[in-house]
Amino acid sequence: MKQSRQDDIIQDRMRPGVITRDGLLGSDRRSLRDILEADEAEVCRLGLSHAAIAARLRDLRDAGAQGLGEPVTVFDHFEVRVDSVRGLLPCPFPHEGLCRKEFVDVRNLRSDERVTYTEMNIHMIEAHGFYEGTGSPFRQEPAVLARVLEISCA
Amino acid sequence: MTALLIAVGVLCAINTGLALLLMIAAATLGRVGPCRITINGEKALTVAGGRSLLATLKDEHLFIPSACGGRGSCGLCKVTVLEGAGTLLPTETPWLTPEEQKANVRLACQVKVRRDLQIRIPDELFQVKQYRARVTDLADLTHDIKQVTLELEEPPEIRFKAGQYIQLEVPPYALTDEPVYRAYSVASDPADTRRIELEIRYVHNGICTTYVHKHLKVGDTVTLNGPYGEFGLTDSGAEMLCIAGGSGMAPIKSILHEMARTRSPRRCRYFFGARARRDLFLLEPMRELEKALPDFRFIPALSNPDPADAWEGETGRVTEVVARHVQDASQAEAFLCGSPLMIDACIQVLRDKGMPDSKIFYDKFS
Repeated sequence: MKQSRQDDIIQDRMRPGVITRDGLLGSDRRSLRDILEADEAEVCRLGLSHAAIAARLRDLRDAGAQGLGEPVTVFDHFEVRVDSVRGLLPCPFPHEGLCRKEFVDVRNLRSDERVTYTEMNIHMIEAHGFYEGTGSPFRQEPAVLARVLEISCA
Repeated sequence: MTALLIAVGVLCAINTGLALLLMIAAATLGRVGPCRITINGEKALTVAGGRSLLATLKDEHLFIPSACGGRGSCGLCKVTVLEGAGTLLPTETPWLTPEEQKANVRLACQVKVRRDLQIRIPDELFQVKQYRARVTDLADLTHDIKQVTLELEEPPEIRFKAGQYIQLEVPPYALTDEPVYRAYSVASDPADTRRIELEIRYVHNGICTTYVHKHLKVGDTVTLNGPYGEFGLTDSGAEMLCIAGGSGMAPIKSILHEMARTRSPRRCRYFFGARARRDLFLLEPMRELEKALPDFRFIPALSNPDPADAWEGETGRVTEVVARHVQDASQAEAFLCGSPLMIDACIQVLRDKGMPDSKIFYDKFS
């Protein structure tokens, strides 16, 4: 699909200093539409869906939040710590609502691999299929999420 | 052929003229001349226009607290702008109650200085200063919390109240190409005006915490500004329930030092939540404070102690421990510091125990 005028506006809001200091695109030079389509293809290749990935991220977040800021072991072999800082962020896609500045740090105790994501990541994956651009501080590689968080086909 | 050359020449001339026009417009129309900012009807500043009110005031050594570097995502930098701010922006409305909007409260980071402004800020902000300090000690309190001791150089003294915080500047380094500020509560006794202690927990890839934990060295010079915040000891004399976790220890420790120095007779119970023994710290100073204060008890609680800890103290989440120890909180006051998740959970427990919201004090900046 061709990048639309609306996509241009959204992509502008993802640039450094607009919503977050570093922006959501990292060093990625592709158009937003290309980024979305590439990740869509990757998620399909993995036999997953954005909804399934977001659901796993949210489940781990909710379980980790029980630690009240301290790390907790959840689902037997994930160490999860949920923390947040003051503030709210708007989504770059055009709709109402704000995301908390919440960070979820998950360590798979079996593989000793680690993933850190934000509430904004969960929302953008679930609602927009957006995993951020390559090199962005909170870019989420679908294959890494699937492997570390053990997300499998339904 | 001649006609073609003339046409190309004319087109080039038109393009050059348009480009020049654009350059002139960019250089003149966007420029804002000097503006006058009148503060609290008294102090007047003449400043260069064109930047945000937050950045402009900072250049004039007036520091408005901000936790997001001026991107309108923390809602902290509220000031009252009586004149000259223009209309409220969509980026401000999520942070302002209808009452605040009616009272002309604005976010200083979103208001551009384009004309003369009349603003009102709390008097305390005039006391906020920028300091240069030297790192005199870095101590590992736990595997992920460092105590940073700073000796003030210029100005050489700071006056703060127990419970207040400062903003530490992180200079450009691998994780940031511009200075950023992060807020940290002061952990030391306010009577010690020449030096401050901070307790900073490492956050994976956090700009400031990575700098402090992996780059900062004893002898380095740092810049900070402060003090800020209204969190602190009250003079009611009511029983105190302090609840903290992790680096939330800092402001409570400062408050306890203040109480010990003034020989406060107040009953105080301090619940400190951690996961396992390795996450506990400053146990000895807390035991010393138990001896120094007539009615103080420190109650550490482990949510998931290791068997090797041989822990015989309280177990469970700190909220569960508070619920077990406190029967009626209606006459007490609570002082909370830690993760916003912990604070929210504590507020619920305290409400259930009869404590009114007006008696629950906290600084939820994580």
